Amino acid sequence: MSSSADVSGEASKWLDAHYDPVANLYTFTSCVDLADLGGDGENKLVIGDLGDGSCGMKLKVYRGTALVSESTLLDLPTGLVSFLMDLHEPRIPAVAVASGPFIYVYKNLRPYFKFTLPGLEVNALEQDVWRQAREGQIDPLALKELLEGVRDTADVPLSARSLRYLALEREDMQEFVSLHKAQPVRRQTVITCIGTLRKSTADEDGVSCLVIGAESSDVYILDPEAFTILSKLSLPSAPTMMDVTGQFDVEFRITVACRNGNIYILRRESTKPKYCIELSSHPVGLVRVGKNVVVGCAEEQLQGFTQKGKKLWTASLPAPITTMAAMDLPTRGFQAVLVGLANCEVHLYREKNLVSVIKTPDVVTGLRFGRYGREDGALVMTTKGGGLAVKILKRTATFDERDGAPGPPPAQSVRLNVPKKTKLYVDQTLREREHAAAMHRAFQMDLSRVRLAAAKAYVKALEAGLTPVSARPSVPLKMNAVVQGLGPAFKLTLNVQNTAACRPILNLTVSFLYDVGLYSMRTPYFRIPLLVPGPVYPFETLVECTSDKGISDVIKVFVLHDGKTAPLLTAHINMPVSEGLALT
Amino acid sequence: MEVTMDPLFLAWSYFRRRRFQQCSDICSKILEDSPYDQAAWSLKTRALTEMVYIDEVEVDQEGIAEMMLDESSIAQVARPGTSLRLPGTSHGGGPTPAVRPMTQSGRPITGFVRPSTQSGRPGTMEQAIRTPRTASTARPVTSASGRFVRLGTASMLTNPEGPFIHLSRLNLSKYSQKPNLSKTLFEYIFHHENDVKNALDLAAQATEHAQFKDWWWKVQLGKCYYRLGLYRESEKQFRSALNHQEVVDTYLYLAKVYQRLDQPITALNLFKQGLDRFPGEVTLLTGIARIHEEMNNITSATEYYKDVLKQDNTHVEAIACIGSNHFYTDQPEIALRFYRRLLQMGVYNCQLYNNLGLCCFYAQQYDMTLSSFERALALVANDEEQADVWYNIGHVAVGIADLTLAYQCFKLSLAFNNDHAEAYNNLAVLELRKGRIEQSKAFLQTAASLAPHMYEPHFNLATLSEKIGDLQSSYIAAQKSEDAFPEHVDTQQLLKDLRQHFAVL
Repeated sequence: MSSSADVSGEASKWLDAHYDPVANLYTFTSCVDLADLGGDGENKLVIGDLGDGSCGMKLKVYRGTALVSESTLLDLPTGLVSFLMDLHEPRIPAVAVASGPFIYVYKNLRPYFKFTLPGLEVNALEQDVWRQAREGQIDPLALKELLEGVRDTADVPLSARSLRYLALEREDMQEFVSLHKAQPVRRQTVITCIGTLRKSTADEDGVSCLVIGAESSDVYILDPEAFTILSKLSLPSAPTMMDVTGQFDVEFRITVACRNGNIYILRRESTKPKYCIELSSHPVGLVRVGKNVVVGCAEEQLQGFTQKGKKLWTASLPAPITTMAAMDLPTRGFQAVLVGLANCEVHLYREKNLVSVIKTPDVVTGLRFGRYGREDGALVMTTKGGGLAVKILKRTATFDERDGAPGPPPAQSVRLNVPKKTKLYVDQTLREREHAAAMHRAFQMDLSRVRLAAAKAYVKALEAGLTPVSARPSVPLKMNAVVQGLGPAFKLTLNVQNTAACRPILNLTVSFLYDVGLYSMRTPYFRIPLLVPGPVYPFETLVECTSDKGISDVIKVFVLHDGKTAPLLTAHINMPVSEGLALT
Repeated sequence: MEVTMDPLFLAWSYFRRRRFQQCSDICSKILEDSPYDQAAWSLKTRALTEMVYIDEVEVDQEGIAEMMLDESSIAQVARPGTSLRLPGTSHGGGPTPAVRPMTQSGRPITGFVRPSTQSGRPGTMEQAIRTPRTASTARPVTSASGRFVRLGTASMLTNPEGPFIHLSRLNLSKYSQKPNLSKTLFEYIFHHENDVKNALDLAAQATEHAQFKDWWWKVQLGKCYYRLGLYRESEKQFRSALNHQEVVDTYLYLAKVYQRLDQPITALNLFKQGLDRFPGEVTLLTGIARIHEEMNNITSATEYYKDVLKQDNTHVEAIACIGSNHFYTDQPEIALRFYRRLLQMGVYNCQLYNNLGLCCFYAQQYDMTLSSFERALALVANDEEQADVWYNIGHVAVGIADLTLAYQCFKLSLAFNNDHAEAYNNLAVLELRKGRIEQSKAFLQTAASLAPHMYEPHFNLATLSEKIGDLQSSYIAAQKSEDAFPEHVDTQQLLKDLRQHFAVL
């Protein structure tokens, strides 16, 4: 699949409507939505902005290129959806923002309702321990010990308060206990993802239920008007992304990507998952196209599955995925998947075929395709650097589908530049054939001689400890020396390393042998501290060249062991010529 | 009665026979008797100059200041094939580091050591001030000191009673009026005293006296400006000298200026222009070949070296470069021919025997291999050469699977040269085969720190770490290997495997 043709044709497909590189938006695909909040037939862009991660969380609404509304959020938003919650005219959708264990519902951009997830079951033992603390029967230290015991044995996990308490330092415990002991112990979960599900009709303007995935591995379906839990489904792991289709009263299907790397498909009739897709790596994006599910994986792959979990195809991507979104153009019957990549590109896949590549100035983190303003085919992108870009699909744009049929790789037809065998070579092989025995004999004789010479030199080097690598198995040491500087002052750095597996080396000293007429040394003799195996220890010393004749000499470095006369290691340092003259 | 020869004639005769010390002694004696004898004075300056003379064309030392504090570089990223500073920017199809070893600057090593073949441009100050493997050749020197100072002081040492001419007492304007004295005096000041500023003064006054018509003085002015680092001024002088009189030397000097200004294409054009005027001039052809070689365009370099050999079939540099090129393009039998030719010409040193041994081994002429290395060992001049010879014997030992011998050879190589990164790398591989992982790792780390431009230690460290399950270190090392040699297929494969491994559940 070559993308070069796509890039050249890109200008004919997308119009640049708006680009603001400093929009100060920090958000992700799950917190971006397009909705007609004013009921005037003009879609607005609603963004849950994460601020800087600890403060400055805002709910922002854009109309055209301008920011029209901004309201502060109390906590980090994890998901944002717009949905129709009643049948009143005009049909104005509400905005639900999930953050922490709460869902804040906004109507006409005003806070309307706050829903809290039901608390989880609290460990009875834990409750008992806190009751004792409240009544003053146990002191903070005993409380800590008891809680630790509960944590290690019980099958119901501790509440957030107890976990926080266990992490405290001793001096802060008393204060914490007196502050919190009056309140009852609660265990609360948080929302991880949010979606919408039509209640009873498949119409565009039908009332929708909220579908919430929680950290406690549950999925809740909420009634849109009363905000009561209609249904609770459970999963084997915490959900991270989900996709919902169908109607609650008829038949629905919830596809959930979970933190354990599996994808589960829930259906109406059962509270347990019906199908499971086991992926080879973590899912980073989940999009439904028609009846199929497209999953972006952490190993730079896009995989397509049927709604029963059967794998259809795999496409490799050039870079890691940052985000994914669906592109649905019902007027033209076009459905595809937008994939934001870490190499500043957005790829458009229809089935497994790449049909378009959009180059972006920054890495895209949020994507949403839909109706914006009065334009049906708008693509909203938010970038890692806080930018906001809007592109409009041209009405004349066509996406021609090319099948990336596998052919022979292009490298197959490249000829290797193998040099021809020369006549000389042939002659030499002839010689080799005729005098094989003599050549072999000569070689063997030379080899024995070289072996002898090498062995002699090696023994000599070993006996004098000439090598920079210690050959003694009891003290495996290695040293190399580096000279820096232009002169007359040089810095000499000795890098000593203990290469043993686990034993430290003690009682080592370093001394230098040099021509005193030429050089003077700051510390000509020093002790080496204990050497732990592994790290390289640099020892530095300064050498001054005292001669102005422009000559240099060798400095020998010896590493000595206490009580032994022969050095363990020797390094010869060829000193460079001093190029500066000493100030006198 | 003995007839004595005229002392001045005798001195002249000594000078022609290049016995400069005797010549200078006789001239001193003449000058003691008659201090104003201009002929003797001039001859003595020439004799003293000749004693320390080195060919100015061949001397090229780029100082640390020029390398690191270069303000004239405008385009940091030059277009491909227009700069000497970015290695690998040409399309010449040079060999990969897997086939031919690279120098620190990322160029394939040449067959002939000459100024600036090994230095290149250090990436960091740290690299610039560190003494590399061969302290005698590869290090940049501080400009206007270094070798020039050494030469100056060396000449000072020979005259313990003081210098022959006191430059400070010299009336330069007086001498500049006398063309017969001023030229020898200039050369004395420039080469013997290394006093570029006074030399420049003299040349400026002399060229004024010659009414700006003497090309010789312009060339000398250019040389002075070049030494002072004023390349644009020196270019102007050389250009103007070429207008008066076209001389090969001037072309060479001007090309040197352009190379220093990092304009290899201009230098090439200039050489070609020179070749139109002096067809078949060997020095010009060599200059072209050298530039091609420095720009990694080995094929064209070889073409020009062949042209050189057509003109001068005893040109050592050309033979050595073509030989090494054949060796690294998998034709050791032809390389062997070229090195044998060098041997016949009387080049008789350790490096040549070393190369002969390697060529014999790879051309499967086994009977000659080890005896060549033995000769090389007998001819070594210093420890570095000895280390290199042992390293190559180690290679042969690896080739015939005698790992004990190989181990000893690499160890010996390290004993003679503590900074031999290649030996460290190979030793690490041998240690790994013995199963001593800690040792092997330590050696590879040392090799990597000694020669960060080599990809082998990084790659070996990456494979080692991957095998023992330290995937993070493996990934870091593999990335370093990729930096050193981006096209290395095995590194790419390893990186791909690692990335996949990180992504998989």
